[in-house]
Amino acid sequence: MNLLAAIRKLWHSIAPRTHSDVEEEFRFTLDAYQEDLIRQGLPEEEARRKARIDLGQPATQNETYREAIGLRLFDELGGDVRYGLRALRRNPGFAAVAVLSLALGIGATTAMFSLIYAALLHPFPYAGADRIMNPIIIDEQHPDEPLWFPLSKAQFDDLRLAAPVDSPLGFNNAHMEITGGGLPEDVWSVYLTENAGAFFGVHPLLGRNLEPSDAENGGHSVVVLNYRFWQRHFGGDPDVIGRTLEIDHAPYTIIGVMPRSFAFNDINGISGVGDVYLPATLMRGLFNVPYLAYIPWIKLRPHVTLAAANSALDPIVRQFAQQHPERFPDHWHLALQPIIVPFQQETGHTLTLLLAGVVLLLIIGCANCSILLLARGRARQHELAIRGAIGASRWRLVRQLLVEAVVISCTGAVLGVAASYWLARIPLLLSPDSFPAESVIRINAPVLAFSVALALLCGILFGLAPALRLSRHDSARMLPGRQIGVVAAPAKHRWSVLIAAQIALTLLLMATASTAIRSFLVLTQMPLGYDPANVMKIGITLHVRDPNEWSRIQSREARTAYIEQIREKIASVPGVSTVAVGTDATPPYSGAENSFNIDRTHDREQPQARVMLVGPGYFAALRIPLLQGRIWNTDENTRGDFIAVVNHAFATRYLSSSNALGRQLRIPGLTPRNRYQVASAQSTAAREIIGVVGDARNDGVDRPVVPAIYLPYTAVMLPYVQFLVRTPGDPLAYLHSIRGAIASVASDQQISNAATFTLNEAIERDAQYSRQRLFSILFGVFSAMALALALVGIFSVVAYSVAQRTTEFGVRLALGAPRAHVLWVAARIALVSAAAGIVIGLAFDSFLGAVLAHWMQSAFAAGSLVAAAVLLALSAFLACLLPARHAIAVPPAEALRYE
Amino acid sequence: MTKPVELPQGTLEMLILKAVSLGPLHGYGILLRIQQISGERLEILQGSFYTAIYRLEHRGWIKGEWGESENNRRARFYSLTAAGTRHLKAETAKWTDMAAVVAGILDRKADEI
Repeated sequence: MNLLAAIRKLWHSIAPRTHSDVEEEFRFTLDAYQEDLIRQGLPEEEARRKARIDLGQPATQNETYREAIGLRLFDELGGDVRYGLRALRRNPGFAAVAVLSLALGIGATTAMFSLIYAALLHPFPYAGADRIMNPIIIDEQHPDEPLWFPLSKAQFDDLRLAAPVDSPLGFNNAHMEITGGGLPEDVWSVYLTENAGAFFGVHPLLGRNLEPSDAENGGHSVVVLNYRFWQRHFGGDPDVIGRTLEIDHAPYTIIGVMPRSFAFNDINGISGVGDVYLPATLMRGLFNVPYLAYIPWIKLRPHVTLAAANSALDPIVRQFAQQHPERFPDHWHLALQPIIVPFQQETGHTLTLLLAGVVLLLIIGCANCSILLLARGRARQHELAIRGAIGASRWRLVRQLLVEAVVISCTGAVLGVAASYWLARIPLLLSPDSFPAESVIRINAPVLAFSVALALLCGILFGLAPALRLSRHDSARMLPGRQIGVVAAPAKHRWSVLIAAQIALTLLLMATASTAIRSFLVLTQMPLGYDPANVMKIGITLHVRDPNEWSRIQSREARTAYIEQIREKIASVPGVSTVAVGTDATPPYSGAENSFNIDRTHDREQPQARVMLVGPGYFAALRIPLLQGRIWNTDENTRGDFIAVVNHAFATRYLSSSNALGRQLRIPGLTPRNRYQVASAQSTAAREIIGVVGDARNDGVDRPVVPAIYLPYTAVMLPYVQFLVRTPGDPLAYLHSIRGAIASVASDQQISNAATFTLNEAIERDAQYSRQRLFSILFGVFSAMALALALVGIFSVVAYSVAQRTTEFGVRLALGAPRAHVLWVAARIALVSAAAGIVIGLAFDSFLGAVLAHWMQSAFAAGSLVAAAVLLALSAFLACLLPARHAIAVPPAEALRYE
Repeated sequence: MTKPVELPQGTLEMLILKAVSLGPLHGYGILLRIQQISGERLEILQGSFYTAIYRLEHRGWIKGEWGESENNRRARFYSLTAAGTRHLKAETAKWTDMAAVVAGILDRKADEI
């Protein structure tokens, strides 16, 4: 309604007077003049005629009015658009092909732009997101591993007062559980300092966000819900505000629900997306530990540079380091990092490559439209010549042709933008961990502006060459009789250049796609060293927050018994074939880096290996073969000390000189890190290597296996553990019975949803794997589209020229030309330009190969390039030949009859 | 009847402004008044007459309002706006200056140059 009114108002300001208004006024003048003429003695009919001759027709008066107020160009353009639409309707085949060629290109480009906008330009919903920094400590000895530093409340307040800081946010995450309902449910809580509402500046969907007043009286028991949690747990109930949620047996009042776009704090998958947000003051009351602290984010004041902020904050953080030296490495420096950076590195790379792909596709689509317009233009020359002859200027003809091109491109853009809404989601589905969880793909003003500009640009780009060319012909030469040539049309074929370019670009895309697909296939066929099929990981978190339950499982023995009891219960579920315990030992990325010594030596350079804490059934569950020696037994598992199993990589790297079995190693770092961890009596003492197992991927699917030490999981016990369950079929089908089995041990033992998935899923989540899959699927689709476009281009050019030259071919056949020769004449130009395109493309690709290989992070194989070239050559040959066949199908007699 | 005069480019608008400045008139009335003032010597190109009126109205120099004509028909009456008054004054001054200069040059005798 408002929009309509606005349009009406705008229209009124452009043309204030209506059609009838103008006409009525004119009619009055006409009548008055006519009456005067009658009074002067003219007969009525004569007076009427003279009035109209002198003053004009009432019907055309509105045109005069619009011309007078400068709307003529507008009207003419409107006419051109209508004419263009009519021309399209008359040629539905041409229109469909041209519009679709562009819709593909514009849709893909818009999708990629909206993805880039959502993921890189505007990924966070927070106010002043570009000023929010992640304060990172760079350990100068290990600069690749950025560290975060926690702050105490007092330090946090110091930070708040620092000059370059607008406001800091403190947060801390905790695994908790929803109690008081039926089955216990795992929940990921984020404690936020109470300034969170103002810091984020995100308007809650319902209720309110945390406010400074929530910190009063030791913190109010209130909770703000994440959108997804609200959907999952409350089914999106709008009346949830004011209700009570029981978390870890304590009641919290629900005060707000955040919108869908708010998913704090998913930073590059380091921590999960929070389910509920709680006031940080409660955290200090709940765990009265002096060092329990906040992880900070810092929002800088506007116009503070990163360097200035770093140098201003460095002395403050150094002061913190003096207070808590144990939290900082020996040599470090502070490096504030904009929160977008972790995503920019990986995602920026991926998106740039994909954008290059879609731009190529768009160029191919534009070239296709140009080719079609040029080919069709031969049929329209007659019409244009007539228009020229009756007085249309060249500019008028060019404008008409350009408007038609823009009509095509805008129609394509409308379809493309509609399609891009879905297209933009594909990369997110294929590689979800590469993008910020909070980036929401939507068609917004910048994206729309982008696509409108793109459509106009495309229309002019592909319309200009045909328009200039077609408008050039002088009418004198064109008019006398339609040019139904017995002689071949003028040899200048601008479209042959376009075809060659189109084919070359298509080959580039195809070669890229075949490289991507090949390297992805290599990746999937790489031996993993373990069998991920039908294995599921189930994570559980022990009840560390509840003092009663904690005291029950605090001791190492009790905890082992508890875990073993659950393991046995899971094993007894019908269908479950093997169950093993592992703590953070789920491939393809498993274990924690630790340094160790072999045979009591103390190397200056400490060797490193992955330490995996697992149960003895781990190797059977994952089908990792035993190469030498044996695996530990149940008693050794309970004791946890004195034994170790290593992988093949470890044996060859560190024990190459002698037999691995019987050698001793010590892991000095194997001690409890906090009060929730517990270690065996002699966890750091010497351990004998009793077995060597095969290499299973532990550093990502594409990276070589790193040396690993397998220890009984009882050596160091964390407050959580995972079970690896092998089943005969899809393991998720057994999840319900397994949950029941776990609940039969402890009715309130929840399983952790975030840590429960199949091992195949774990592979799919691998960054390199999902990236390669994304590339191979998308570039596969791009190149298939490009191939289709190029073939349609060739096909239509040949088909058009054959249709135009029917007579010529008839004459040739009648004079006895061999059919093969006629076929060659019909297809020659297209074939030659396609061949030229392939040659250019091959040269271009070998030149670009090195660049591409670097960007794709995989080798650019000559084999796949040749395969792509052969495929392209064959299909181009067919696309030429199929329409060219019509040239020899013309019965000579019939062709001659036209003459 | 004296010899008809052809109107130079752009002067029609000035004449319309002048005609309207004497009081609101409808389109046909403007036409009649111009002819009457000029002593029937001006042949106004009928086609361009309304074009000029529309343009003047669009620029805001005259304002059209519907009213009742002398023979009780609905007619659109135009009157001069404030901007129109200023414009007419400026144009008149310009025209007089130009006419004086041109006339001055044309009137010179050979010995005066």
